[in-house]
Amino acid sequence: MKVINKWGKGFFLYLFLVLIFPFLPIDEYYRSVAIIIGFHSIVTIGLCLLMGQAGQISLGQAAFFGLGAYTSAVVTAKYGLSPMIGLLIAMIIPAVFAYVLGRAIAGLQGYYLAMATLAFGFIVQIGITEWESVTGGANGMINIPQIAFFGESELRMYYLVWALVTCVLVFSLSLLHSRVGRAFRAIHKSEVAATSMGINVRSFKLSAFIISGIFAGLAGGLYAHFMGILDPQPFGLHESIKFLTMVVIGGMTSIWGALIGAVVINAISEILTVLREYIPFLHGDVDTIVFGGILVLIVMFMPEGLVPKSAAFLQSMKMKKKAARGEEDDQSMERKATT
Amino acid sequence: MALLQVENLTARYGPVEVLHGINLNVNEGEIVSLLGANGAGKTTLLHSICGLHTAKEGRIHFNQHDITRMPAEAVVPKGMAHAPERRQIFSTMTVEDNLWLGASHRMGKESKKDLNIEIESIYERFPILAERKWQMGGTLSGGQQQMLAIGRALLSKPKLLLLDEPSLGLAPLIVKEILTIVQEIRAEWGTTILLVEQNARAALSVSDRAYVLSTGTVMLEGHAQEIANDPRVQSAYLGHSHTAI
Repeated sequence: MKVINKWGKGFFLYLFLVLIFPFLPIDEYYRSVAIIIGFHSIVTIGLCLLMGQAGQISLGQAAFFGLGAYTSAVVTAKYGLSPMIGLLIAMIIPAVFAYVLGRAIAGLQGYYLAMATLAFGFIVQIGITEWESVTGGANGMINIPQIAFFGESELRMYYLVWALVTCVLVFSLSLLHSRVGRAFRAIHKSEVAATSMGINVRSFKLSAFIISGIFAGLAGGLYAHFMGILDPQPFGLHESIKFLTMVVIGGMTSIWGALIGAVVINAISEILTVLREYIPFLHGDVDTIVFGGILVLIVMFMPEGLVPKSAAFLQSMKMKKKAARGEEDDQSMERKATT
Repeated sequence: MALLQVENLTARYGPVEVLHGINLNVNEGEIVSLLGANGAGKTTLLHSICGLHTAKEGRIHFNQHDITRMPAEAVVPKGMAHAPERRQIFSTMTVEDNLWLGASHRMGKESKKDLNIEIESIYERFPILAERKWQMGGTLSGGQQQMLAIGRALLSKPKLLLLDEPSLGLAPLIVKEILTIVQEIRAEWGTTILLVEQNARAALSVSDRAYVLSTGTVMLEGHAQEIANDPRVQSAYLGHSHTAI
């Protein structure tokens, strides 16, 4: 586990926080917030691989999330399969969709890719809404079974979700340090130059799509079983943009950034909910305005995102300290020399 | 049979034909330069050879394979490396990562240890790259970037190395250094080299043979010395006399 060694302290801090969070003396409500953050993290880590690493924009990530959610919900609630098998199918179906979509739009870049994925997002959401006999249409589905992970409780769900987040995280970090990660970054920088290196650009782009689709599908499946009810509303453009915002805020080039982004956006969401009780005009869709504003500020003042920015800041602090110490050494040497 | 054989090659950009029936051979162990003014079609020819541009008509044989319509990523494993124009270093990746990318098609097939040894040999050959191992590619100077581009290309273990304008934007002294490196590469690795250049004098000084391209056709071909002495080349590219062609 080279990756874990490399991240060392950071990774163990992450594990520690994840393990103790449920035992912190806070309202149990925040445990379910943490579970939701887990779902979002799985999606954003995938999106970070696709967007931040391979450089392929997706405005339709919520569609894969939705596909995963509905797939797992339908096979468990309607056909009585166990939720664990449901989750597995919830990864396969979005992967197939990602493969087909990826094949279809392999030659597209930039704006065209954004438009194509946007269209895909709309098609999936409309498809879910209209296919009433299976998905329940706009009314949605109810009675989606819980996941039995050594019994059904929210605490167990919390650990299951964050165990999966950790798997996704370790997988993605390892991927980045492998030849695949290098190929992704090369494609991001220049597809022509990457091709000249003998990199099969199409197949790597396709695999980035599929991996991000699988992650989003997994998160969707978990979401469906956790909520117990589903409707098509949260799988549209609004949610896709929210995922995008999380990745951008955290820092597109950093997998940890995707995780931090998911935490920050959800935290802001919760703060707004609390504030609403005291400030009456915060009703309505204030979240969107706030997220939009944050996105603008980040792009203007911190385009590299929170995690790379703070990493660079820490690095420069270290350097300064070192330099200061170095000067002292020099001075003491001088003093010694003069005396 | 020549290592690289281009027969009657025609290439287009949309309706515009830019190469009109090019014939070109490169034998094993040669350094061949491809000269010509801006817009003569040098880079298009190079891109057609390495698969970045698909030729309209004609044949390209390389190392006993027909690579006419093969995409670039499939040509590389056949033993052809391309150090592109303006070097195309991955500027936000480290020097080390850039080098590893050169070995892309060999990863998974050959052991990491062997590849590591080869990367070390590139560092030995270009000590400045070893010093800057962990620096971003974009922070290197032009000459260092060119060395990185050549080193990266060598890591695909090519039989034939295509160099597209390695002298572009470099000071005369550095150009000389780079061209010396080109000769040394042939001597050390036995790599065959096809060198595209606008800097005709410098290119001819290290080449065995040369082709002069003019508006999409081969205007002249022959031994480097002959080409350098040709009055048409002298007037057009070397600036010895000022009479018109």
